[in-house]
Amino acid sequence: MSALNELKATARLAIWTLAWAATLALAKFGPRHVWDPPQQAATWAAIAVNVAVGVGWIVAFTRFLRALDELQRKIMQDALAAALGVGWVLWFAYVVADQADLAAAEVDVAVLPVVVGVVFVVALAVGKIRYR
Amino acid sequence: MKNRITDLRAERGWTQLSLAQKAGVSRQTINAIETGKFDPSLPLAFRLAKLFGRRIEEIFLDET
Repeated sequence: MSALNELKATARLAIWTLAWAATLALAKFGPRHVWDPPQQAATWAAIAVNVAVGVGWIVAFTRFLRALDELQRKIMQDALAAALGVGWVLWFAYVVADQADLAAAEVDVAVLPVVVGVVFVVALAVGKIRYR
Repeated sequence: MKNRITDLRAERGWTQLSLAQKAGVSRQTINAIETGKFDPSLPLAFRLAKLFGRRIEEIFLDET
């Protein structure tokens, strides 16, 4: 796969990521700041648009992975595996601790994607340095 | 896996970047293969062999 194709796939992924983040923000803050007072139909429409754009993001990410060369794909897959694994393990450990009344504090579910994102970025950087 | 890519590339005066462009991969990939950190797939190994006009076993050395 050429560098040009890789660049195009990266640009498409960036556009889809921004679109997904924008529609997520609209679905989250729309009921309070855009269509105030809250209207269920408008909120459902915003959520539907967010899910539809999310599907587009998944397709763009798959095409992005295919456009990478084999080493870049390996680095990306290793980072994804680390992020998924850490998120999965930590979340279930928390769920078990919470059910046993051992968890000292309530953890917001929004913390999970942040943890996964941070682990992914760190693992990606480690992979890039490792194969530099 | 050991290989002779660095020598073959030097014989032709190719940089890692120029070889990477000919093989359709990133410079980082060529560097990782040369330093033995990454073993290429069979299709990439065949592409490299073709670029150097050699057989795969003349470029990649079995260490087992």
